[in-house]
Amino acid sequence: MSGHSNWPEWIYVAVVIALMAWVGAEAWNAERIIEHIPEGAEVIKVTGQQWFWTFEYEDGTKTIGDLYVEVGKAYKFEIRSKDVIHSFNIHDYVVLMDAVPGRVNTVWFAPDAVGEHDIQCREYCGLIHYNMRGTLHVEEPST
Amino acid sequence: MERIVGLFLVLAVLVMIPAIDLAFAAGDEPGEYVDRRVIIWNLFFRMMTVAFTVGAVVAGTLIWLVWRFRESHPKAKPTAYEGTDW
Repeated sequence: MSGHSNWPEWIYVAVVIALMAWVGAEAWNAERIIEHIPEGAEVIKVTGQQWFWTFEYEDGTKTIGDLYVEVGKAYKFEIRSKDVIHSFNIHDYVVLMDAVPGRVNTVWFAPDAVGEHDIQCREYCGLIHYNMRGTLHVEEPST
Repeated sequence: MERIVGLFLVLAVLVMIPAIDLAFAAGDEPGEYVDRRVIIWNLFFRMMTVAFTVGAVVAGTLIWLVWRFRESHPKAKPTAYEGTDW
């Protein structure tokens, strides 16, 4: 159409592209920061299987269902699965990572207060998925 | 010509994303003790602020558009497609 200006459309396109770029960059940056594991993080091997969690600490001890950590320390979880896909979730600390057979997925966190928190499987993994739970025990530092 | 520009645009994006990723990605140096709850929830709240603001602007624009360009609006003019005998 003659006399029709389409600059508002171009501004609209530019704003949408800028917003999408900003949203993508912010999300990518947050992911980059939280995936960066601090030095000296204690490695805990987390194994999911129908329908419980096993935790193996650096000294070789193992616990089933109960995870013991200390305030102020960083922990790196190496998450595995023995059978089907599970998902390791500590809701209160926003820890969430899939446990996939044949893979080792990692996620880290540093608890900041003494307390007990729920651990649960977040990927439907069979009949008793609903009860594939555990407890995170955050304790005072031992040393 | 436009096809070539489009192709180069796509190629540029394909090259740029991994390059930026490499440039800014965390290296071997140890990370900081960050509270992932704070970072993740902050991101969520900022994204929600953007989402609701954009949603309000888009919804507002649509409402204004429907209100302004209704047939019964005092300033409504017929388009060329609708004829001129209003």
